[in-house]
Amino acid sequence: MQFEDNFFWVAVLTGLAFVVPACILSIRVILSAVGVRLTYKFQRAMDGYFYISTWIVGFLIFLAWPLFQSLYVSFHNVKITSSELKLTFIGWENYAEPFLEDIHFLPLFTKTVANLLSDLPIILVFSLFVSILVVQEMPGRGIFRMLLFMPVVIGSAIVIRRLFGEGVSTEAIGVSVQTLSEVVFTYLQGTIADWVLDLVNRVTLVLWRTGVQILIFVAGLHSVPITMREAAKTDGASGWQIFWRITLPMLSPVILVNVVYTIVDSFTDPFNEVLTYIQTVGLTRDFRLGYAAALGWMYFASIFLFMALALLISSRFVFYAGER
Amino acid sequence: MADSVFVIRQRTGVLGALTSRKWWELVFLRIATYIILINVCFVFLFPVIYMFSTSLKTVADLADLTVLWIPRTFFWRNYELAISGMLYWQAARNSIIISLGSGILQTVACSFVAYGFARIPFPGRDILFLLVLFTFLVPPQTIIVPLFILYRNLGFMDTYFPFLIPALFGHGLRGALFILVFRQFFRNLPYELEDAARIDGAGPFSVYWRIMLPLATPAIIVVFLFSLVWHWNDFFEPTIYLFDQNNFTLPLRLSILSAALLQMLAGQGAGDEFNEAVIMAASFLVIMPPLIIYLFTQRYFVESVDRTGLVE
Repeated sequence: MQFEDNFFWVAVLTGLAFVVPACILSIRVILSAVGVRLTYKFQRAMDGYFYISTWIVGFLIFLAWPLFQSLYVSFHNVKITSSELKLTFIGWENYAEPFLEDIHFLPLFTKTVANLLSDLPIILVFSLFVSILVVQEMPGRGIFRMLLFMPVVIGSAIVIRRLFGEGVSTEAIGVSVQTLSEVVFTYLQGTIADWVLDLVNRVTLVLWRTGVQILIFVAGLHSVPITMREAAKTDGASGWQIFWRITLPMLSPVILVNVVYTIVDSFTDPFNEVLTYIQTVGLTRDFRLGYAAALGWMYFASIFLFMALALLISSRFVFYAGER
Repeated sequence: MADSVFVIRQRTGVLGALTSRKWWELVFLRIATYIILINVCFVFLFPVIYMFSTSLKTVADLADLTVLWIPRTFFWRNYELAISGMLYWQAARNSIIISLGSGILQTVACSFVAYGFARIPFPGRDILFLLVLFTFLVPPQTIIVPLFILYRNLGFMDTYFPFLIPALFGHGLRGALFILVFRQFFRNLPYELEDAARIDGAGPFSVYWRIMLPLATPAIIVVFLFSLVWHWNDFFEPTIYLFDQNNFTLPLRLSILSAALLQMLAGQGAGDEFNEAVIMAASFLVIMPPLIIYLFTQRYFVESVDRTGLVE
C-alpha cells in the first residue's frame, strides 16, 4: 500500500465527513451570535440535519452518483479502449436484449425468483418454530441459542458455501438423495419431482440462512407482553389458541421485518446466480458494461417491485399494537 | 403485584402456555423440544465438525472409508501447509485491518446518523429514512462499475479505503441495516435524559456522545459484531478492489490456495501432500477467528438481542 497518491483524496473525504456536520452546527452558532432569534423548531431541525448530514453526503457520493452513472451507461454501448471508455447512445436496446437475444438471463432470473418463493415460507416457519422453542426457560437454553445464532457469524463465509457446493449439506440431514429420488420419481411427475429434489438438496443451505431471522424472532417474542397471554389464559384459552390469537398477531410486524430481510438478503446475495451472471457479463467475460448496467437496473427494479408487493400484501395482515 | 408477575413469568416462560398441563405432558414436550433442538443444532454444527475432522486426515485416511470422523492420526502437517500456502499471518493482518476498521467506523457513524433519525423531528425525516431503506435494496453489483471507476480515479485501488471511507459515512456493507437497528434502539429510550442534558447546556454532539451512546451498549455490541464478521467473510468487494496478492484478505487467499500450493510444492516433488484435507484446514483457519470472537462474546450478544428491541 502506498499512501502518496491517494493521501490527498483520503484527507478530503475524511474531512468532508466531519466538516459538513460542523458547518451545519456553526450556522446555528453564527446566526444566534449575529442576533437572529431562532425558533425552537428551527434549532431542532438544524440538530437533526447535523446528525444525518454525513450520511447524506455519503449517499450522494457512494450511492446516488454511481446509480445515476450506471443508469446513464445502461443506455449506451460501451467500448473499452486503452485509455478511456467510449460511449455510444443506443436507447433501450440494452433493456430489450434479455427478452430478445440473451438466452441466459431470463431463466436464471425466474429460477432465482422461484427459489426465493419456495424458500421464504420454509425460512419463516422454521425460524419461528425454532425461536419459539428456544425462548422457553429450560436448562441448556444458552447453548442452543449460541449454536442457533452461529450461522450469522460464519454462514456468509465463502468456505461454508463451498462445502455445500460439494454436497456436504445433504449428508447432514441424513437423507440419502439416491433413494429419495427413486421414490420421488415414482410418485410424482417430472417437473414437480425435480423441484422437490432441488428443495431437498438446498434445505440445509436454506436452514443456514435463518440465523438472522431466528435472532429477530427471539427478540420479537421477548417483546410480546406476558400480561396479554395471562389474560387470555384466565379466560380459558388453550396454548394453541393463545399462539394463534395473541402471539402471532403481536408478532406480525416482526414477521414482516423477516420477510423483508429474507427477500433483500437472497436478492442481494453475491453468490446469487443472477448477480454472478451480471458480473460475468460486465466485468469478466466480455466487458459489456452497458448491458450489465441495464441488467442490474432491471434486476433492481424487480427487487423494488417485490418489496412493494410484500409491503402491500402485508399491510392487510400486520397488526400494530400501539395504533388506535 | 410485581412479585406475582415475576412468579408467573418464571413458571410459564415467555410463551406462558405450559402451566395447565399435566406433568407427563410437560415432560413429553420438554423431551420433544430437546430432540428437535439438538437435531437443528447438529445441522448447523455439521459442516464445522466435518471441516475440522477432514482437516486432520492423512491421504490414507481420506481414501479409507472406515475412517469416518476421527482420523487414525491427527495430521497437523495439513495446517502447516495451509498456513504457509495462504501466507496466513499476512492475510489475517489485512482481514483484521479491514474488518476491525470498518467495524468501528460503521458502528460510530451509523449510531450517529441513526440517533438523528430516531429522536429529532426535522422536515423530510420520513422521506430520508425511506432513502436509507432504499439503499439497503440496491444490489452491490448494480453500482460496482461506477464505484470502481470512482475509486480508481481517487487512487484507492489496492488499498483499504474503498472499505473504510464508505463506512465512515455510515454506508458500506449493509450500513442501512445497522442504521435501522440503532434507530429502533434509540426510539425506546426515555426523552427525559436528553432534555436534562440539553437544559444543562450540552450541545448536539455531547448529547449523542456522552448521553445516548453509552446507553446503546447492547446495540453497539450487536452492530459491531455483525459488521466485523460480515466484513471478515466478505468476498465480493475485495475481489473487485484488491489486485496485489500481498493485500489479499483471507477469503481471497483461500480462493487461490490450490494454485499457490501446487506452485510451492512443485519444486519439492511432494505433490500428493496437497489434497482436500489441506483445503479443509485452510477453510477452518479462515472461519476460526470469527468463531472464537463469537464464543467469547455470545453471552453479551444473546443478551443484547433480547434488550435491543431490534424489532418493534
